Amino acid sequence: MAVDMRLPTVSKTVSLSVSAFDRKDLVVPGDVITSDTGFMRGHGTYVDEEKLTASVAGEVQRVDKLICVRPLKTRQVMSPKPFNGEVGDVVVGRITEVQQKRWKVETNSRLDSVLLLSSVNLPGGELRRRSAEDELTMREYLQEGDLISAEVQSVFSDGALSLHTRSLKYGKLGQGVLVQLSPSLIKRQKTHFHNLPCGASIILGNNGFVWLYPTPEQQDEEAGGFYTSLEPISLSDREVISRLRNCLLALATHKVLLYDTSVLYCYESSLQHQVKDILKPEVMEEIVLLTQHKLLEQEG
Amino acid sequence: MAGLELLSDQGYRLDGRKATELRKFQARMGPFAQADGSAYLEQGNTKALAVVYGPHEMRGSRSRALHDRAVINCQYSMATFSTAERKRRPHGDRKSTEMSLHLKQTFEAAVMTQLYPRSQIDIYVKILQSDGGNYSVCVNAATLAVIDAGIPMRDYVCACTVGFVDETPLADLCYAEESGGVSSLALALLPRGGQIALLQMDARLHQDHLETLMEAAMTACKGVSKVLDEVVRQHLREASMLTRE
Amino acid sequence: MATVQVSEAEKVYILHGIRDDLRVDGRGCEDYRHMEIETDVVSNTDGSAKVSLGHTAVLVGIKAEIGKPRPMVPNEGYLEFFVDCSANATPEFEGRGGEELGTELSNTLYKVFNNKQSLDLRALCISAGEHCWVLYVDVLLLQCDGNLYDAISIAIKAALFNTKIPRVHISSDEEGGKEIELSDDPYDCMRLQVESVPCIVTLCKVGHRHVVDATLQEKACSVASLIISVTHKGTVTCTRKVGGGSLDPESIFEMIEAGKRVGKALHAPLMKLLQQEESLGKKRQKVGFLG
Repeated sequence: MAVDMRLPTVSKTVSLSVSAFDRKDLVVPGDVITSDTGFMRGHGTYVDEEKLTASVAGEVQRVDKLICVRPLKTRQVMSPKPFNGEVGDVVVGRITEVQQKRWKVETNSRLDSVLLLSSVNLPGGELRRRSAEDELTMREYLQEGDLISAEVQSVFSDGALSLHTRSLKYGKLGQGVLVQLSPSLIKRQKTHFHNLPCGASIILGNNGFVWLYPTPEQQDEEAGGFYTSLEPISLSDREVISRLRNCLLALATHKVLLYDTSVLYCYESSLQHQVKDILKPEVMEEIVLLTQHKLLEQEG
Repeated sequence: MAGLELLSDQGYRLDGRKATELRKFQARMGPFAQADGSAYLEQGNTKALAVVYGPHEMRGSRSRALHDRAVINCQYSMATFSTAERKRRPHGDRKSTEMSLHLKQTFEAAVMTQLYPRSQIDIYVKILQSDGGNYSVCVNAATLAVIDAGIPMRDYVCACTVGFVDETPLADLCYAEESGGVSSLALALLPRGGQIALLQMDARLHQDHLETLMEAAMTACKGVSKVLDEVVRQHLREASMLTRE
Repeated sequence: MATVQVSEAEKVYILHGIRDDLRVDGRGCEDYRHMEIETDVVSNTDGSAKVSLGHTAVLVGIKAEIGKPRPMVPNEGYLEFFVDCSANATPEFEGRGGEELGTELSNTLYKVFNNKQSLDLRALCISAGEHCWVLYVDVLLLQCDGNLYDAISIAIKAALFNTKIPRVHISSDEEGGKEIELSDDPYDCMRLQVESVPCIVTLCKVGHRHVVDATLQEKACSVASLIISVTHKGTVTCTRKVGGGSLDPESIFEMIEAGKRVGKALHAPLMKLLQQEESLGKKRQKVGFLG
């Protein structure tokens, strides 16, 4: 039995990066970005009396003639700020509804995403035809509450995402832990699937949903990614996963971008503490500072 | 006037402020992790919490969804212990229903709802401690929460309650002044364009004075907008310092 | 977020973890999450406290008003409870959505706290049969992340500790009528003896074991839970099974034993913290919601 009670303190986030106090690219709603009419208006902006104006508080980003404002994340940890998916993004999501020929998936977006029956690999190989029977047994493959990893296939006109799982790496997720973070904390990388050397695997979904699971021994091709083992997982694997989970939350609290290296460094920095102690404010601060030092060293 | 002198001969008010002086602001953006956006604001002794959920899929009946823009859904409530006399219920009475409606109308004017068809945005505000100008403090807190949620707005919405005493307009009324028989006016302004999102006045006032009072209210709202602006920029600097590439 | 979904496989993972005494966040079965407590946060009240436990956040305000004692107990004051499940905590509570939970919580709180064993109710009596203090204990839920009962009970204990009731002087005039006069001096006040005020421990039965301070995910895997209110001496003042599902008698006994052990251990650190805060006096930096 352990209980840790204390008085609250004014929380500070730790960071080693340079001060941003003189940055000019930070805008708030109503700020005029430019009155030059040669620019195109992107997300987070609007045109008022021919002036390009910001509509969110954040960082101005300019790509050629296109101007966007990327809203900056606040202190929040779990905050599901709406995720604006793009084609090719890796997402982790939860099935909310089984409909005719499609599943509705919660992916941290403004509208629920859609996974069509025709966009999944059914058991028995890629070229299998989808029969009427498949429509009736959709719930056997994926039911409400199930978690999946998928890729964004297209974006509907109203902004809803259409997903597909037509690759062996996607599909239903088995035993593991879901951590819900802000999408802006996920660094875009070539691959979002990592087998970490500390003994567990991680899927860093672009939508801010991160999946931690024991590294699988071999892929079972026949099941089409719908089979999940319910065998107990060893205590040592669990400890690694729990430690990673708390490390992710610590990094997110202090707004450190998440990718395989930052997560791994944080894991290493946390090893001298017990898993359950990682989330205490002073321990979090210490671990994140250590991680940032390591990241800076590695950068050179 | 109820025995109290609201404005002394030297030009000071009950709490020692000058006529046009605003109360002290203390704010924090994002105190809550589960909501999409949240803010806490103290304006003098009035304390308000605002949280924003969304934009998300319509909850409840989907028939309320609008095909060309998002629905804004507001609820104003007061903690039962927020007033000097204990309140029996936090919301659902006529006054708070009216406040909820006003809030909805105010934010429909400012949030770019057309960007989110078929969705819903929830704005909930709670008064934790009430000391005058409740409506204005709620609007200001909600503005911060909407910005925190990253929902696009044309401009800040800033609100202020002003009163008229001895031919002098008073900015940002506190409870003693509000209840002391001042004719008060609540105004919500989109400061950049000078557009008025809400104007409400329940008391009697000579028509000749209305313009002076409106002027004073607009000036006070612009003052509020400066303060909010500083809060947001400060917050932005902190946040941008932290997300490092 | 009052309810969360978990998939079958996630459930199995959580269940096996609890069996091995290693929960998803690394805690053992009887560990609490990190807790922050602050008193005196809202000034329109006679006593207040804010508690956060994980992401669960509750604010309790206590107002003392003069009322009439209940006819059955003319020489005692009483407590009234109200729990406001506000929409701030989750959109599900909007409108009347939080009323059911609010009523359930406030009824339980009344049973736990409004008795002589918890609080010296006679101290709240002003003049027998005529006047007494009524303490309105208003609980405001600001964020729900599991384990509401425990967080609320700790907040109530802290708020009661913080409560300052003005002293009353009774003077009688010639005709024998009594007049009540409240002291104007803010320092001339009565404090409550909170020593024996119980804390609630919620035990969630998950699989074959039980855990304290369950997260929402763990709660989703549990069949039923048992709440136990325990005083600093380890006396159980109230137990109640909450939630659907059923418990077998054997596990109830086991859970009561565990609850007693855990509940008893909560009091010492809580009182120490409250006294430490009190001793800081005006030097204490007020955090409130600005933290």
